[in-house]
Amino acid sequence: MVCIRKATVDDLLAMQACNLFCLPENYQMKYYLYHILSWPHLLYVAEDYNGRIVGYVLAKMEEETTECHGHITSLAVLRTHRKLGIATKLMTAAQNAMEQVFGAEYVSLHVRKSNRAAFNLYTETLGYKIHDVEAKYYADGEDAYDMRKQLKGKQIHQHHGGGHNHHHHHAGGCCSGEAKADKTETKGNAKVA
Amino acid sequence: MVASLPPKESNLFKLIVKSYETKQYKKGLKAADAILKRFPDHGETLSMKGLTLNCMDRKSEAYELVRQGLKNDLKSHVCWHVFGLLYRADREYREAIKCYRNALKIDPDNIEILRDLSLLQAQMRDLTGFVETRQKLLTLKPNHRMNWIGFTVAHHLNSDPSKAVEILEAYEGTLEDDNPPENERCEHGEMLLYKISLLEECGFLERALEELHKKESNIIDKVSYKEQEVSLLVKLGRLEEGESLYRALLSMNPDNYRYYEGLQKCVGLYSENGHFSPDEIDRLDSLYRTLGQQYKRSSAVKRIPLDFLQGDKFREAAGSYIRPLLTKGVPSLFSDLSSLYNHPGKADILEQLILELEHSIKTPGQYPGRVEKEPPSTLLWTLFLLAQHYDKRGQYDLALSKIDEAIEHTPTVIDLYSVKSRILKHAGDSTAAAAFADEARCMDLADRYVNSECVKRMLQADQVALAEQTAALFTKEGDQHTNLHDMQCMWYELASGESFLRQGDLGWALKKFLAVEKHYADITEDQFDFHSYCLRKMTLRTYVEMLKFQDRLHSHIYFHKAAAGAIRCYINVYDSPPKSTAEEDNDMSKLLPSQKKKLRQKQRKAEARAKKEAEEKNEELGATGVSKSGKRNVKPVDPDPHGEKLVQVEDPLLEATKYLKLLQKSSPDSLETHLLSFEIYTRKQKILLAFQAVKQLLRLDAEHPDTHRCLLKFFHKVGSINALVTDSEKLIFSVLEAERPTISQLHDKSLFEANGSFLEKHKDSLTHRAAFAEILYILDSNRKSEAVKFIEGSTNNLVPRNGALGPIKEWKLKDCITVHKLLGTVLVEPDAAARWKVRCAEYFPYSTYFEGNLSSASPNSVFNKLRKNSENESPNHSHGQNVDSVTSNRNIAAFKDLTV
Repeated sequence: MVCIRKATVDDLLAMQACNLFCLPENYQMKYYLYHILSWPHLLYVAEDYNGRIVGYVLAKMEEETTECHGHITSLAVLRTHRKLGIATKLMTAAQNAMEQVFGAEYVSLHVRKSNRAAFNLYTETLGYKIHDVEAKYYADGEDAYDMRKQLKGKQIHQHHGGGHNHHHHHAGGCCSGEAKADKTETKGNAKVA
Repeated sequence: MVASLPPKESNLFKLIVKSYETKQYKKGLKAADAILKRFPDHGETLSMKGLTLNCMDRKSEAYELVRQGLKNDLKSHVCWHVFGLLYRADREYREAIKCYRNALKIDPDNIEILRDLSLLQAQMRDLTGFVETRQKLLTLKPNHRMNWIGFTVAHHLNSDPSKAVEILEAYEGTLEDDNPPENERCEHGEMLLYKISLLEECGFLERALEELHKKESNIIDKVSYKEQEVSLLVKLGRLEEGESLYRALLSMNPDNYRYYEGLQKCVGLYSENGHFSPDEIDRLDSLYRTLGQQYKRSSAVKRIPLDFLQGDKFREAAGSYIRPLLTKGVPSLFSDLSSLYNHPGKADILEQLILELEHSIKTPGQYPGRVEKEPPSTLLWTLFLLAQHYDKRGQYDLALSKIDEAIEHTPTVIDLYSVKSRILKHAGDSTAAAAFADEARCMDLADRYVNSECVKRMLQADQVALAEQTAALFTKEGDQHTNLHDMQCMWYELASGESFLRQGDLGWALKKFLAVEKHYADITEDQFDFHSYCLRKMTLRTYVEMLKFQDRLHSHIYFHKAAAGAIRCYINVYDSPPKSTAEEDNDMSKLLPSQKKKLRQKQRKAEARAKKEAEEKNEELGATGVSKSGKRNVKPVDPDPHGEKLVQVEDPLLEATKYLKLLQKSSPDSLETHLLSFEIYTRKQKILLAFQAVKQLLRLDAEHPDTHRCLLKFFHKVGSINALVTDSEKLIFSVLEAERPTISQLHDKSLFEANGSFLEKHKDSLTHRAAFAEILYILDSNRKSEAVKFIEGSTNNLVPRNGALGPIKEWKLKDCITVHKLLGTVLVEPDAAARWKVRCAEYFPYSTYFEGNLSSASPNSVFNKLRKNSENESPNHSHGQNVDSVTSNRNIAAFKDLTV
């Protein structure tokens, strides 16, 4: 009934439309671009049999912290497409990619305290646990549960002997301490003189 | 130059630069003023002061200072660079590029300027320039990874992937071994995948595959690895390996249609148009049976066979597909099946099938041939499916009776009201549709989906104010207008623009359409920061994909709709211009002098008040909005909130042409593009351009009634010009003379004959008959009554089909409305229009346009009677423009009465 696949840049406008139609937390296109251009492996969409985007997951890696972990920025499924297990399939796909590509230790997300349906999905189906409560996290003053799910982490990467002899200067890797190159805030001004 | 300043000032200058880089603008400004005190003409200081002011939103001062600075020191690369930065900040990229180029003439090896220039060149797709600049950067700093990658990407974008491969390999040669440190593994893998995709693009398939296998351990993105591998194998014709790889991918994700499609291709069972021989169908059937055994949880594997199976096999498969989904209560089942309605015969099978299920669940209580009883909800979802089935077939009365039965069965399911709302919309009653969408919304106020759907229906019913207030329930800070705009909520802006356009409020309509256009401009702008970001992040495949996406951004449907809407607005403005001041004076001349004076005073006062309010608002926001750095981060108050100035535009067709050009470039295969083009250019008297539009229409759909209209109107108009005065006119006509015989519709025919043979081909189609009649009247206004009679003589036949229940008439509501407008406003035959309306009210009893007796436009409709009743029961319950009702949650008993 519904196809689950990795998102492409061409899906972003439909993902934004889907988000605006069903969720109160919205983002400008640049934020979607930031996600797909930073972690193209972590965005998945659900496409119905007529080719329409009916759900998506938007996820990222947290790069400033010491412990490499993923974060679910946004997950939405159109109301008309409930009861198909789409949310579970999307989440599983994103989590697998976090684990496999980035060696994430865990994945985190925020959920409204009042959103029982989502809470149940995260705890019962997907195995998330409450890590913390963030008071007044949402713009309307509602608290959020900060939830986490443990993943397998780094061990899946196999090492191939040999030294690390890259002599080129550049910032660190996908999940290292690279300076936060940011989404919508502007970075410092470029040098002039 | 900095060197020319004494040490103290020279240090101060460095401070300005540093303050700019760290955004400490006030500090920078102070330093600049200190230098200027002693050296008031110092060019670079003037420039830097200007740049700093620009960051503090003091734009006009900024430009003045920067220009002054440059004038005082034309030989300074700093001054040119700063000028470039100013233009860049204003998105004037072409100008900025010129400035950077001047700066580089003075200081050719300046890395900062080269880097800035390269970003602009990428943004503007100045690809040869981009390659040049990137080459220079690499030459200057070959030990930066980013410069190698930048040069590679530049060649790739400049359509030279093989050169790109060479550079990337040269870069790889500089790496001492193949094992990147742990924290770079991901980037390294991305780079390898990028290189392989380049090889694939070059057509070096064997090499790409070899490289892929060699680097397997370094590519940690295993999904991409396999997808890349299978793509190469298939292109190399190694289908057996491809097949097993697709099977491996399916075991990772059995819900990806693309993998099934790929697998079918590998086993030789793929067809572009979905047609298969009976033998192929058998093989496909057994393939999917095996896959179904393997992937029990996959829904795709169950759905796909419904596309290729036929007849009894289809019936059997559809039955076993539908039954568990009804038991489970999957609301999207109908939408999932809807594409099958385009397959001949399948809709009828589905109808019989669902009716059998309904019957069996109702009487014995279980599915045919089963023992287990179905839960009560199965009947509900069966009725729900049936209602949508009848809706799809245009049998709205049946659809409504089924959905009402479902609502009666279980009045608490929101989806039922949404579907009822949709059926009513299709049946032609937008008002009732909005009311039922509002019922659905009130059943779950926390769900934005039902809110959005309700807002959409309200806009379709032209209840704009109510729609705005309803949408506001889900936007922060209550100011939904700005919020929806800031969040780029385009569906909303388009729907309200269309509603304003329907209502003739062109200012508001333009405002909304242009807002959507602005979002696209912003999205184009969004790519800027990623030109450097992605080179560092190494997400190069996605970056290139993003650039391609940006290049075709304007072909997106929302942009198309917005541009078309704006063009329609401008055409309307041109056709009936808003009253100018002179005309208003004229109107006023009828007034007594004292009245005039009063009126003028009143107007002036109102203007002054509005101006003052806007200023105050700006100031108020400004005062709180100034941040530490001194930058005012406030959006200025919109000086034209209602789009009044937009309507006052001097040359509306010129504005329309701007958007038309974008449509012609990005949607050349849309009929609408060329219809609009025809409308604009006939108004502008641009004969050859109008002719181009006609030719495009003929190319796209020569049999379309609108194509026929444009073609004949065009040659009729051209033929009616008799005096050719200028040489260019003569030239134009000689071109048309030469072109006319190439148009098969005209050949040696007269326009009357061409009109007649068009009709011959499409005698039974209402829309074609209407086009024929309209042209007949245009060609000879004496034959108007003949034209009217001809339209009225059309018959609404039954759609030919077998086995289905209930008759379905051919005519579509939309077409009947168009014909009504033709009779009323083009042919100007009010009596005929009235007769048409009465006739169509019979065909479309739910249509408010035709005031059908079951529509909410009819005072005696069931809908209105019930509405009155329920209003009597609960005073808060209202469907009108009463805003209070928006926020009040109504209890279920109250709207139970409403179920018609």
